[in-house]
Amino acid sequence: MKNQIRQIFHSPKFTLGFTIFALLLLLTIFYPLIVTDDPLEMVGQGNFFKPGTYISVKEAVDTDPYTLNLHTSTSRLEKNLSMDERMAMADWLQQFAGLSPKEVDVTDADGLVSLWKEHYDSASEQKGLIAARKKYFSRLDKKIQGLLENSDVLVAEKNEETGEVSVKKTIPSTSYVNVSEVGSKRVFILGTDNFGRDVLTELVAAIKTSLKIGFIAGLIATTIGLSLGLIAGYLGGFIDDLILFITNLFTVIPSFILLILISYSIGKNARGVMMVAVIIGLTSWTWTTRSVRSQVISLRNRDHVNLSKLSGHSLVRIILTDILPYIASYVVMALILQISSGILAEAQLSMIGLGPATTTVSTLGLMMNWAMSYSAHLNGDWWAYFPVILSIALISFSLNLMNTGLDQIFNPQLRE
Amino acid sequence: MTGYKKYYTNKIIWYLITLVIAVVLNFVLPRLMPGDPVSAIAARAVDGMTDSTAIQAVYEDYAEKFGVNLPMSTQFLIFLKNAVRGDFGVSFSQYPRTVSDIISSSVWWTVCLQLPAILLGWILGNVLGAISAYKKGIFDKGILPAFLFMSNVPAFGMATILLYVFSLKLGLAPSSGGYGFDLIPAASLTFFRSVLAHYQLPFWSIVLITVGGQAIGMRSMSIYELNADYVKYSRFMGIKDRKIVGYVFRNAMLPQITGLAMSIGTMIGGALVAEIIFSYPGLGTTLLAAVKGRDYPLISACTLIITVMVLLANLFVELIYGVIDPRIKAAQQD
Amino acid sequence: MGKTMLEVDHLKTKYITRFGENIFAVDGISLKIEEGKSLGIAGESGCGKSTLALSLMGYYFAPLHYQSGTIKVDGVNITAMKPDEIRKKVLGNEIAYIPQAAMNALNPTQKIISFIEDVVRAHDSGIARKDIYDLARQRFEVLGLPESVLNKHAVELSGGMRQRTVIAISTILSPKVLIADEPSSALDVTSQKMVIKMLRSLMEKGFIKSMIFITHELPLLYNVTDEIMVMYAGQIVEHGTAREMVFDPLHPYSRGLMGSILVPEEGVRGAKLTAIPGTPPNLKKPPKGCRFADRCRYAKPACMLHQIAESHLENGRMFRCYLEEKELREVCKDE
Repeated sequence: MKNQIRQIFHSPKFTLGFTIFALLLLLTIFYPLIVTDDPLEMVGQGNFFKPGTYISVKEAVDTDPYTLNLHTSTSRLEKNLSMDERMAMADWLQQFAGLSPKEVDVTDADGLVSLWKEHYDSASEQKGLIAARKKYFSRLDKKIQGLLENSDVLVAEKNEETGEVSVKKTIPSTSYVNVSEVGSKRVFILGTDNFGRDVLTELVAAIKTSLKIGFIAGLIATTIGLSLGLIAGYLGGFIDDLILFITNLFTVIPSFILLILISYSIGKNARGVMMVAVIIGLTSWTWTTRSVRSQVISLRNRDHVNLSKLSGHSLVRIILTDILPYIASYVVMALILQISSGILAEAQLSMIGLGPATTTVSTLGLMMNWAMSYSAHLNGDWWAYFPVILSIALISFSLNLMNTGLDQIFNPQLRE
Repeated sequence: MTGYKKYYTNKIIWYLITLVIAVVLNFVLPRLMPGDPVSAIAARAVDGMTDSTAIQAVYEDYAEKFGVNLPMSTQFLIFLKNAVRGDFGVSFSQYPRTVSDIISSSVWWTVCLQLPAILLGWILGNVLGAISAYKKGIFDKGILPAFLFMSNVPAFGMATILLYVFSLKLGLAPSSGGYGFDLIPAASLTFFRSVLAHYQLPFWSIVLITVGGQAIGMRSMSIYELNADYVKYSRFMGIKDRKIVGYVFRNAMLPQITGLAMSIGTMIGGALVAEIIFSYPGLGTTLLAAVKGRDYPLISACTLIITVMVLLANLFVELIYGVIDPRIKAAQQD
Repeated sequence: MGKTMLEVDHLKTKYITRFGENIFAVDGISLKIEEGKSLGIAGESGCGKSTLALSLMGYYFAPLHYQSGTIKVDGVNITAMKPDEIRKKVLGNEIAYIPQAAMNALNPTQKIISFIEDVVRAHDSGIARKDIYDLARQRFEVLGLPESVLNKHAVELSGGMRQRTVIAISTILSPKVLIADEPSSALDVTSQKMVIKMLRSLMEKGFIKSMIFITHELPLLYNVTDEIMVMYAGQIVEHGTAREMVFDPLHPYSRGLMGSILVPEEGVRGAKLTAIPGTPPNLKKPPKGCRFADRCRYAKPACMLHQIAESHLENGRMFRCYLEEKELREVCKDE
C-alpha cells in the first residue's frame, strides 16, 4: 500500500493534477477563515464593478492632502481620451488643418491635444462633414476643455438651519491623498457581480459547493455503478444480460436529457443543492457499471477466486476479499471522473436555468448563469465569468490528470 | 452477407427498443413526481400570470392534453399518437405558435451547427493524436497538452472566451444570433454570408473543446497499434512506411468510432449549452427559453427530439462501423 | 557447388537502450548459404537468434543499429545500400521474412489480397491488379491454400490458416533467401508438420532458393535443414551438418541443447532430459573469456580468461571451445 502510494506520486501527471486540486481545496478551506464576509452579501449597488481598490470618496476628501507637482492633465488625457476619439481627432487634423499623417501621433495624447487646440475651430467650414459629425467634434472639443481644466474643486457644506451653502474646503488639482490613510476602502480583486457581490469571495464559496455537488454525485454514481457492475459481472447469466441492457440503454439516452426532465419535474422548491447532486449521481452511473463489469468478468475465473469458491466462502466475502481489492484502482479512477463530470453537469444544468434553486449559496453554474442573464458576456465584464470558467477547467483538468496518472500506473501497457 | 444482415437487424431492433424506452421515460418522468403532476405543471406555467381567463385556458388545455382522468396507459397512447403525428401542442411561452413549429425552425440550426463541428473536432483530434504518436516532438509535448487543457473547458466556457476575444475585443465576428438581426431569412447571398459569419464562433468553440479528448484516445491507440506485429512484418516485406502508417491509423481509428458513438450524447448536451451563449437560434436556446417560460410542452418536445437525434447519430455510427470493421462481420459468423 | 545466395561476414549489430548502453546481440557472425540449401539456427531464447534474423535483412530501425560487417545477397553487398534502396530492392523480393508468431503478423482489418497487392507494388508499382491476383491465386493453389482466403480478412481465418497464409505471402515474390523465425513454435504438432512440409515444398518447387530456419528446438532442425548453427550470447558456438549436429554435437552447449528437449524420434539422443543450469550472460557487459563458461560443467579457469577462437575441422565443421575436439569427445563419454 505504502509502496503503491509512493509509486502514484512518482507519476508527474498525477502529482501535477493532485497539486492543482489540493490548492483549490485548500483555497476553499482557508480563504473563508481570512475573509469572513458573507459570500453572497450584496456589497455594491449596481452591476459588475470592475476589479480594483475602492476607497471612500468622502473620506478621501477629509483625509489630509499632500501637494504633488505632477501634471495631472497628462495622465487624465491619456486615460480619458479613447482610441476612437483620438483617431477622429487625427482625421480631422489631417483633413481640415492640412497636417501630414507623420505629424499626428495618436499614441501621444498630450501632443495630439496641443495640435488640436492650435488648429480646431468649431466655426470653421469643415467641408463635406455632416452636421452630426460637426457636433461630435464640437462635443469632443468641450470634453478636452474639461479635461484640461485645472481650477480647484470646491467642497461646500449646507447649513442645517439656514439652508445656505458655504465653502468648506477647496481642492486644487495638485492635491493627493495617501491611500493608506483613507480608512474605508474595499478591494475587489475580481470586481463584483450583477448583484454587487464580491466575485472572489463568492467564487471560493461556489467552488466549495460545486466540489460538494461533484463529490456527492460521484459517490452516488460510483456506488450504483459499482454494485450493478459487481452483480452483473460476478453473477453473469440473465441478470448480467438485464443489467447490461439497461446500462447500454442509459449510455445511449443522453443523461443530460434525463437531468433536464427530472430537474424540471421535481420543481423549483425541491431543487436544492443536495437534490441536484443526487439527480446528477442517479443519471451518470453507466460508465462505472461498464468498466467494473468487464473487470469483474476478467477476474471471475481467476484461480484465487475459484479457490475461494471451493473453500465455501460466502458471496459477500468473495466479493469483498477476492474481487474488490483488484478493482479498487478502477473504482477510484471512475470516482474521480464522476466528480469532474458531476461539476460540469451542475454547471450546464444551471446554465439552462435548472440548477439548484437557492439564494443562500452559490455554485459555479449559478454564478455563470447569473453573469449570462445579466449579459456580462456581451458587455465585456470578464471578471464575472472568466474566473468561473477557469475554475471549472482547472478542477476538471486536475482531476483528469490524476486519472491519467493512475491509469498509467495501473495499466502499464499504456506507458510508452 | 448474412453476418452483416444479422448485425444490422440486431442494431436496428435494439435502437427501436431504446427509442420506445426513451419515449416512455419522456412521458413518465414528469408524471412520477409526487402530487398531481398536471396541476403542478400548470401551476408552474401560470406562475406570474395575472389574466384569469388565460390561467383558466392553461388549466383546461393541460387537462385535455394530459387526459387527467384517463388511465395512464390511455394517456400514454394519446401522447404517443400525437408524438408520431408531430403534434406536441401549443407553446405557452410563445403562444399561439405550435411546439412543432418552434422545434422545426430550431432543430436544423442545431443539426447544421453540431454535426459538422463534432465531426471536424473528431477528425482533427484523430489527426493530432496520430501525429503526436508517430512524430512525437512538439505535437506530443506542446500542441496535444494544450488541446487537452482546452478539452477541460466546458463548451459554454469556450464559447464565452471566444466571444470575448473575437467578438468584443477584435470585432471579427458577430456576438449573437444565427444571422444579422436586421435580416429576414431568405435565399440571398447577404443572408447566407450573415449566417456564415454568425456560424464561426459557436462552431469553433465546439470544435476546440472536442479535439483534445479525441486526440488523447487516438494517441494511445496509435501507440498500441504501432507496436503491433503486423507493423514489423509489413516493414520487412518492403512496404513503405507511409503505407504502414496508413494501416496503423485506420486500425487505431476503429475504436475511436465506437468512442464517438458512446460520447455523442454528452457532446451534444454540452454544445446545446454553448448555443445559449450566442443566443444561437437552435434547440439549446429554445430549451432555455422554454425553461424560463415554464413551457412544459416545449421542454418535453425538445428533450424528445434531442434524444431522437442522439439515437439516430448513434445508430448511424454503429452501422458505419459494421461496414468498415471486418471484425464485426467475423464475430457474427461465429 | 551451387551459387552463394547469402554470405554474411563478421556482422555486428547492437541495441542502444534508453540509457545509451550498447548491447551487441549479434556479435561478429559469419555464415554462408548456397542455392538450394537450408541452414538452421538454434539457441535458447535471448541468445540473439531473432535479432540475427532481423539483422540479416540489412534494414534497421531503433533500437537496433548496424555496427560493422557485410551482408551479400547473391553477390550484392546490401550493407552499402541506403535504407530505402534495401526496402525496394531487397526486402520481400530478395530476402523474405516469416516472423515469430506469424499468426498475428497480418493486419486484422485488411483483406489478404489487398496486402499482397501492397507487397507486390512496394517493389514494382506498375503491376496490374489482375496480374497480382493471378499470381496470388496460382501460388495459393500450388501451396494448397483455398483461393477464397484471398478475399478474406485475417480475423476471419483460423490460426493455422493465418500462419500458412503468411508463409505464402512472404514467398510470393520468390525470394532468394527466406528467413523463418520460429515459424512452427506455438503451433500444435499437426500444424507444425504442415508448416515444415510447406517450407520444404517451397524449396523443391524453387519458389525460394535458400532458407534460414530459426528455432529454439535444435532436434527439430534435423529433418528440415541441411546445416545447423548453434548460437549463444550473440555468437555462433558450433556449426556443422544437420546430421553431425544432432547425432554428434561437440560443444557442451549444443549438447545441453539436445539434452534439454524431449524428442520422441528414434535414434536421436536426449532420452535423458537435462536442463542447462543458469542463464545466458548479460550482454551489456559480456564476459571476457568463454561466454558459456559459467554454465559449462567442463569449464576450466582458463576458459574465463581467454577469448575463445573458432576451431575449424577438416570437414568444414566449426566449434568455439577452449577444449580441442579430442578432449571434448573424451569428456562426452562421462555422460
